[in-house]
Amino acid sequence: MLREFRTGNEYPYDRRSAARWVLSHVMRYSYLTIGFIILAIFAISAFTYTSFQIQQAYEVIEQRGTLAALATAALGLLAIRALFAIVDMINTVIREFLASRLERDAREELYISLLGKSQTFHNRQRVGDLMAAATGDVTQLNLMISPGISLIIEATTQIISPLVAIAFLSWQLLPVPVLFVFALVWGLISYNRQLGPVAGMLRGQYGQVSARLNEAIQGIEVVKSTAREEFEVARFYDVAKRYRDLFVQEGEIQARYLPALYYGVMIGMSFGYAVWMQSMAVITTAQMIAFLSLVTLFQFPTFISLFMFALVQFGLAGANRILGIINTETEMDENPQGESHQVRGEIEFNNVDFGYADGSILTNVSFTAKAGETIAIVGQTGSGKTTLTRLVNRTYDATAGSVSIDGVDVKRWNLDSLRSQISMIEQDVFLFSKTIAENIAFGARGDVPRTQIEWAAKQAQAHDFICSFPDGYDTVVGERGVTLSGGQRQRIAIARAFLTDPRILILDDSTSAIDSATEDQIQRAMHEVLKGRTTLLITHRLAQIRWADRIVVVRRGRIEAQGTHEELLVKSESYRRIFVRDDHAATMA
Amino acid sequence: MGFVLDGLDAEAYDRQYSDGVLIKRIAAYFRPHLRVMLLVVLVTSIGAGFPSISAILISRSVDEITQGGDTMTTLMWAAVITVLGVLGWLVNYIRQRYTAIAVGDVVLKVRQDAMNAVVARDMSFYDQFASGKVVSRVLSDTQDFSSVVTLTIELLSQVLLVLVVTVSLFFVNTTLAWITLAVSPLVILAALVFRRVARAATQQSQRASALVNSAVSETVSGIGVAKSFRREATIYREFMETNMMQYGIKLRQSIIFGSIWPVLNIISGLALVIIVYVGGQIAITTPESLSPGSWYLFIQSVALFFFPLTSIASFWSQFQLGLAASERVFALMDAESRVVQRNNLPVHDMHGDVVFDHVTFAYNPESVVLRDFNLHIKSGEKIAIVGHTGAGKSSLIKLLLRFYEFQGGRIIVDGQDIRELDLADYRRHTGLVPQVPFLFSGSVMENIRYGRPEASDDDVLRAAQSLDHGDWINDLPDGLQSDVGERGSRLSLGQRQLVALARVLLRNPSIFFLDEATASIDPFTEHQIQEGLDVVMAGRTSIVIAHRLSTVRTANRILVLKNGDIIEEGNHEALLAAGGHYAELYNTYFRHQTYDYRPWEA
Repeated sequence: MLREFRTGNEYPYDRRSAARWVLSHVMRYSYLTIGFIILAIFAISAFTYTSFQIQQAYEVIEQRGTLAALATAALGLLAIRALFAIVDMINTVIREFLASRLERDAREELYISLLGKSQTFHNRQRVGDLMAAATGDVTQLNLMISPGISLIIEATTQIISPLVAIAFLSWQLLPVPVLFVFALVWGLISYNRQLGPVAGMLRGQYGQVSARLNEAIQGIEVVKSTAREEFEVARFYDVAKRYRDLFVQEGEIQARYLPALYYGVMIGMSFGYAVWMQSMAVITTAQMIAFLSLVTLFQFPTFISLFMFALVQFGLAGANRILGIINTETEMDENPQGESHQVRGEIEFNNVDFGYADGSILTNVSFTAKAGETIAIVGQTGSGKTTLTRLVNRTYDATAGSVSIDGVDVKRWNLDSLRSQISMIEQDVFLFSKTIAENIAFGARGDVPRTQIEWAAKQAQAHDFICSFPDGYDTVVGERGVTLSGGQRQRIAIARAFLTDPRILILDDSTSAIDSATEDQIQRAMHEVLKGRTTLLITHRLAQIRWADRIVVVRRGRIEAQGTHEELLVKSESYRRIFVRDDHAATMA
Repeated sequence: MGFVLDGLDAEAYDRQYSDGVLIKRIAAYFRPHLRVMLLVVLVTSIGAGFPSISAILISRSVDEITQGGDTMTTLMWAAVITVLGVLGWLVNYIRQRYTAIAVGDVVLKVRQDAMNAVVARDMSFYDQFASGKVVSRVLSDTQDFSSVVTLTIELLSQVLLVLVVTVSLFFVNTTLAWITLAVSPLVILAALVFRRVARAATQQSQRASALVNSAVSETVSGIGVAKSFRREATIYREFMETNMMQYGIKLRQSIIFGSIWPVLNIISGLALVIIVYVGGQIAITTPESLSPGSWYLFIQSVALFFFPLTSIASFWSQFQLGLAASERVFALMDAESRVVQRNNLPVHDMHGDVVFDHVTFAYNPESVVLRDFNLHIKSGEKIAIVGHTGAGKSSLIKLLLRFYEFQGGRIIVDGQDIRELDLADYRRHTGLVPQVPFLFSGSVMENIRYGRPEASDDDVLRAAQSLDHGDWINDLPDGLQSDVGERGSRLSLGQRQLVALARVLLRNPSIFFLDEATASIDPFTEHQIQEGLDVVMAGRTSIVIAHRLSTVRTANRILVLKNGDIIEEGNHEALLAAGGHYAELYNTYFRHQTYDYRPWEA
């Protein structure tokens, strides 16, 4: 699989299916897993053996034995219970260890794979979904092991172990328990078949209720100003009513849980059957006692099954989602043998197409930016402006045509060398919860002296506001209420670019707020940073558009017009309209 | 258990209710289901005795068999036990089924009431409380609400079970019964201590988890940045630190939680051994006081006796959680709307003549926004309001829409005090486009129609086509039928604004309010919106909180607000020439929108 990042010592997991994947994770600690199963069987067998000890004690009582004999039986019982408790405790630790390890390892595996994916993947994926996988889904994996699968192992053992014990006691006692076990398994299967779909619908409906409520609250200004309150309450009631119906339906299915009925009948029948066998002298009274206490052991598997299968189902669903992410193919590689040298900064788009399976985004895009030029890219939201700039640093790869830098196709550049010479300044700048100094130095290799960082911040018009914080450059972003405004973040990003000193700059200024009071500083910083670099500038500002060396007008994925401001005023009708209105408004007032 | 502390933050509208009041109000919700609930309680009480009866029957029969009793009678008892098993299942069926129905209905009713209460609140409520917290009150707190009743029923059956078992044990043998009772504080103590430890561990791990989750969130969100700078290895190391920390905390917590069953098993095992030995001793030495069958009954009853004890021990804290949830729900329902109409005069036609007459308004007593504010807006006037944040710009619009209550003076529309009007009627004559236009999930058509549900498809189409010559509709994937996505996410900001404008246009209001977006919009769409605004504002009173240069340039009158006062007014040219506060505002907010803006040359 192609990847942009790998670590040296990755454990090879089996990713062919969710079940195999979970198994390969668990078997990474095969000694513990096998140890757990053996100990679980041992513990349950010890627990089952309690019945024999009680039988022994009963025989002593029935035959008026000595107190010493009684003490022996009681001590035996104590020993077994103590042994059981110790093994149970050890197994608890092993179980939790395995479950937490699985969670940790799966999260690490997911993360490494995320780092290896291309930007194309990350841009198509919502961060919320990845977060859900890295937190919620991995927790489901933990719960699937503990208590999920470990309960299944214990419950299965607790079905088999009494059966074996009863067979040892007297094989003639087997019919009733065996019949019960068949009924139990059949009952569980049909119960799950009924409950599964309803439970799924119920969860889905809860999401709907929540979505409906959220929408009404977030749109409350519209609801109130149009006097539609009653309508919103009625809409909410509809979805809440449907939820209530599903809730009652689920309650009905749970109430009907047939294995519980089978258990009650089985206890009565076992008693009757044992009495009959005793009267025929097939078994002794003491054996009867042991038998009766053995069949009560079925209570645990009967009632715990409700819960454990759901956990395993949730766990596997989570595993499927995680695997879905990990197994998504990514199309780029580090290309270590590619071109690796200083970039001059000439960019050429040659008949470039780009799109996904579900539609094309860019069609037949051609333009050239000479080294050091500033190209303004303008167009409506969704016209493909942003995508166009993302082809330069290979966030995406063109599906047809070519993008070249200094005459060399970007696909032939070493990815490391290419990206380190192209900086992207987005409007929505992501800052880490570290100090401002560390955030500015993030892009640069190695240790950067403080004087360098301050120099970059000054160039970016960020020095003053940084110094206004009590801790200055050591202020941790996001801590103690220190939040940075959009304009401040943007200037931090510009400072980053001064430090990395790229030849090519991609500057997205399209989502800035127009009521920013520090606009002058931001614009000065931008003007400074794009000096001497080739810049693709996505902008909505008439002034920036007007002063760019050239302008590319994008409309529905195609270049509608390109040229200098003066050329476009003549060539493009829609371009003229935006400037004419501005003029018109100015003269009218 | 991560949800235990969620939504527990106190809100300003929270109030304290005594437990008695809470229980009374909860009971009121269950009253329509009284008969069903009584049936449930009745069968539950009867059902509680079944396991004991079975155990007693078995032990008696065992005694009879040892003494060579009649097999047929014993077999009959076996049949009775079987029937009891079936009845036990039936009791449980009735209990669960009818509880589900009652709980489902009650939760539905509470949610409906809560929703009604929520939409009746004035806007100050929504400004103060994050929507997520309100949602959690209406959805999850209402669910916990019902737990007060289900827990009580549960408790009742457990207590009855323990009582029945205890009484039957005393009938069989007093000494052994005392021994069994003597162990029970140990079980309760263990359960309580465990709750303590578990709660501490949970709280600690919740805090840690919140930290870890935000660290995971950061490392996941930061991947994009790390990739464009090729710093994957750095961010991977940071992630691994977080991951290891999470692992350590989680493991510790799960081991604590996992150890409760082994501990309870040790205690019940100990009790069992004591009863086997002491009981056996009594049965051997004085067989007349304890038969072998009764001895066996005791052993069976140990589990029957201890298990309900652990759930009784945990009842109170869970019950408290349920009460706390109910308290939050009632506080939400009881919070009062501060906007009060004195009358409900119908509104037929409105011209849009607006007067603020000595109006005083404050969000809270400490910060007065408007003091003795006077303003007259003539019908059909196009007003632009400018000023720094906090100058009181949006308050004017909010007061006129009756989103907030003002404290002094009068607001008069067409000669009528707006507090005298029918609120819904009055609002039907107003149109608002908020700063961030809100779309409901559904189609563009449905969204335009939202404000006037009776409008025909043709009306909607006409409203849409009067903006931007209808060109914007062609840019939508399926025209007016296009799905807007959640909160309009599939449309661009500019398109959402056009939908909001069409929505207002369809309602044909007398007064139009616009809080202009502060986000920048591409010049092509900006042009479409400006033209659309020209259409919407034509011939109606328009009040705009202005952020756009073209708006201030074309307004009839600009009001310059500072600290709640109109300090300057006039048109753009005149105000700019005067060189006052407006000129300063212009330099800060509007100058950079001109096309010859070059700050680096200044």
